[in-house]
Amino acid sequence: MLPVVNRLLLGLAGVVLVCGGGAVLAAGTGLSLPSWWPWHGPRDVLLSAADRERWRDESWWWPAVIAGLAILVLLALWLLLAQLRRARPAEILVDSGDGEGARLRGRALEEALRSEAQSLEGVRGARVRLTGRRGRPGARVGLSLEPFASPGGTLGRLTSEAVAHARESVGARSLPVEVRLKAAKHQARRVS
Amino acid sequence: MTRPPEPPEPLAPAGPSEPPEPSGPSGGPEPDPSAGPFLVPNTKAGRFWSVRRVPAALLAVAVLGGAGVLLYDIAAVRADQPAMRWRRVAAARLAEWRLEEPWVLAVAAAAAALGVCLIVLALTPGLRGLLPMRRDEPSVRAGLTREAAALVVRDRAMEVPGVRSVRVRMGRSKVSVRADSHFRELDDVRTDLDGALDEAIAGLGLAKRPSRSVRVTRPPVRKR
Repeated sequence: MLPVVNRLLLGLAGVVLVCGGGAVLAAGTGLSLPSWWPWHGPRDVLLSAADRERWRDESWWWPAVIAGLAILVLLALWLLLAQLRRARPAEILVDSGDGEGARLRGRALEEALRSEAQSLEGVRGARVRLTGRRGRPGARVGLSLEPFASPGGTLGRLTSEAVAHARESVGARSLPVEVRLKAAKHQARRVS
Repeated sequence: MTRPPEPPEPLAPAGPSEPPEPSGPSGGPEPDPSAGPFLVPNTKAGRFWSVRRVPAALLAVAVLGGAGVLLYDIAAVRADQPAMRWRRVAAARLAEWRLEEPWVLAVAAAAAALGVCLIVLALTPGLRGLLPMRRDEPSVRAGLTREAAALVVRDRAMEVPGVRSVRVRMGRSKVSVRADSHFRELDDVRTDLDGALDEAIAGLGLAKRPSRSVRVTRPPVRKR
């Protein structure tokens, strides 16, 4: 959700800037312009006093400006806060199969997944963060590989062991997992 | 999720089971056709798409600052306070500057260029440093950093006899390896290196196997 909103708003801001900058450029360089263009030629000023005061005496003008700016401020504030906040379910609903269900602390699942991932062959360190909602949790796993570990093999072990166990303990539903593997810098090993 | 998705499907229209097909959309005796479209994109390993947190936060701060100050000042003027000096100066200047002035054009060009950058940010996936890995399990998506892939390739190349040093450049679809060899025939080293690199690239487990280009050179002899 957040990626889509971010990209929509970034694209919108980009279009506004391109249109504004392009309109000034086209008028300022003396291209022939259609009559509805906001500026009429290179000798035009950016914003004349007449334009600025055109609607000043209308009763709706100032409330409309204030409302528009207030919406813009609230939208920007929400966008900023949304970047800082990361969804992280504090607890997870586990379907125990008998119709009762149970709750699992999110931290406990994170820790279990992390310690199992860390104990796998080829893994030096692991970081786990739950994502999603408590009814449909997901996880993000960051693995740092040991020197000389095989990335494909390590991912296979992570999937078949740590992720499979975590999925079992959450219930039968799928547990979408995103894994990012990086490697610690190390010296090359000389054979000869 | 683990059942084979393909075999039952081509059989269903060919077989004598005419009734199940119209009843398929109404209720679910045949779950496979409906599961198919969901299975296919799930197992495909696409690029990782960045959330674009930092550009969005910067945009939010810029808009918040500009609109916030303007809103504050307009509200203050409505409440019979004097306007801030910058707004009177700006209003006077805006009515003075002509579009043909070079720095007005420069600012407009810069704004348009910034806008193009924002549009590019909005449309491109980003995360070019993360190579998508093969998805054997539909619910697990994995990516390997390019640095890590380059280290694996380098380590494997260094194990080839005769290779003294290796430089690896890991692109998103191509690995270029330059090796210095201090003994053995260069062609033999290259053959061994090709085999070793194929093995190493397969071991990376990437969704799209990168192509490789190998150059083996003999470093100039140094006298000791």
